[in-house]
Amino acid sequence: MTRSLSDDRPDDPADRTGSDAVADAEPTVVTGGPRADDCGRIKVGVGELAVTNDDAVLTTSGLGSCVAVALVDDRTGVRGLLHAMLPAGGGRTTAVSRPAKYVDAGIDSLIGGDPRRLEARVAGGAEMLDLTDAVGPRNVERVGEVLDAAGVPIVASDVGDTVGRTVRFGPDGRLVVRAADGFERAI
Amino acid sequence: MRVDVRALGACNRLAEQGAKQAAGALSDLTGTDLAVEVTGASVASGEDLAESFAGRESIGVSVGLRGGLDGEAVLAFDAVNADALLSLLPGGESMERSAVTEVGNIALGGFLDGWANYLGKAIDMSPPRYFEADGAAVLPDGALAGDGVFLFESRLDATTTDLDFSIYMLPDSGPLRDLIVGKTAPAAAAGDASGTASNDGTTSTAVPYESLSTFSSLAKEGSANAADNISMMTGLETSVDVSRLRFVPLADVPAEVGTEPHAGTVFEFQGQPSGYLAILFEESSAAAVADAMLPMDPDEPLGDMAENALCELGNVMTSGFIDGWADVLGTTITHSPPEFVHDIGASTISPLVAKLSERQDYGFVIDAAIRTEGIQARCDVYALPDERELARALDRLSES
Repeated sequence: MTRSLSDDRPDDPADRTGSDAVADAEPTVVTGGPRADDCGRIKVGVGELAVTNDDAVLTTSGLGSCVAVALVDDRTGVRGLLHAMLPAGGGRTTAVSRPAKYVDAGIDSLIGGDPRRLEARVAGGAEMLDLTDAVGPRNVERVGEVLDAAGVPIVASDVGDTVGRTVRFGPDGRLVVRAADGFERAI
Repeated sequence: MRVDVRALGACNRLAEQGAKQAAGALSDLTGTDLAVEVTGASVASGEDLAESFAGRESIGVSVGLRGGLDGEAVLAFDAVNADALLSLLPGGESMERSAVTEVGNIALGGFLDGWANYLGKAIDMSPPRYFEADGAAVLPDGALAGDGVFLFESRLDATTTDLDFSIYMLPDSGPLRDLIVGKTAPAAAAGDASGTASNDGTTSTAVPYESLSTFSSLAKEGSANAADNISMMTGLETSVDVSRLRFVPLADVPAEVGTEPHAGTVFEFQGQPSGYLAILFEESSAAAVADAMLPMDPDEPLGDMAENALCELGNVMTSGFIDGWADVLGTTITHSPPEFVHDIGASTISPLVAKLSERQDYGFVIDAAIRTEGIQARCDVYALPDERELARALDRLSES
């Protein structure tokens, strides 16, 4: 089951139609992933996304060429995090069954209906290897195109280069990016 | 009789669903969070399994299966974690046997529910049997016989305590074969084909059932060759401790490598099959190996000199693997020069997983721990072949 930010926005009744957001008492939902652990963290795996409307910290680790897209609704505080592997689903059946694997289908799922009030932070998309023809930069480029088309501004990003990254997305709406050497910065 | 290797993907997804249900049941019972870390179907010979479980002591429960699926399922955890488990259970240590039996019963019930739902047939569980076992005796009856069995394996990790479980399920081969070539294959083609249906149709990933045992030879021959090459290069006695080939969702591979920093080399290989191979060491192991290979102390633990040494080592290991595969499959396979990586483990492998994911959802991972005399180091080898090309090579092998 895929959930989106618009499903969780309490002041957007139109978006709730046909959604399980209101009926579902669980405050957090992860597509194919675990619930918040005892420390209030939700781990988002490769090719997964998660949405939360409480204080849970969304985390995803080991970003190499993969890209993390963090969206927040600045009024309701609802946040979502996507860890996508590839730029475009291109009509593949997995783009339907597992949209979070792809940047385009994943962002569409994460946004859901109405992109107003959302802002985006982006991390990852490194060029880790020469062997794999720039899949990282292509992921980053696709993120820009899809968010632009949806009218969602990218307010900060830490992308490219040749470093792996791990990110935390807390209730303050900032995305904390940590590199392999332990260096951290909040964007 | 042909098996679509993507049908194994559907089975794998079932095992994953079952493991999630088991994790939920255990979380409710113990009040601690458990997550499914890894689920895989492995094809291994009895001998390989005996080796890989050597020296481990386990406790757990086993149940017999009848109905939708025949065979045996086992839930086990390391005996060294017994106290941690018991402290979480109602009744605690005074109830050791019954508490463990209860846990096993609940978790295995959850695991099998997933399979039964999919099959649309009830699976009857015999009453749980408590056991304490040394080594490979933990595995379901029959796992050590024969030269290639399917073993479904899931690992549940506790997030806050040191409490990890494994679930092993060994279905009887006859009914499993019917499952794979019967109901599961069309389901896999429809629901799991990942949109990669090629021009040559759904048979492109099908291999003769009999040649599945060749999978374990691939892991074994490749690792043994790699070890021989290291011995020749360094003059140090080198052996392969564990060698198994598992079928896992590609998206799980980065998590399996983990977030610790790793150093090593990655390669692209071309031929039948093509794919990628990564040889990764944890940092301390990488430094120890480089140090042992260099005539003088390196300028810095993982600097340029160490990088050159690890690339050279990667080259001979990869040649060993690739030659071993080519021998088993009767094909020609070549590989690229090494590319050095040093970063978060999961990050180093993510581009390889992404590239393969354009065409497939599952990958074959070879577990090989290569041990060299006098060096405290181990490495993990992730061999990720193109599944369709591998299937074609296996298919040709069975025809010849």
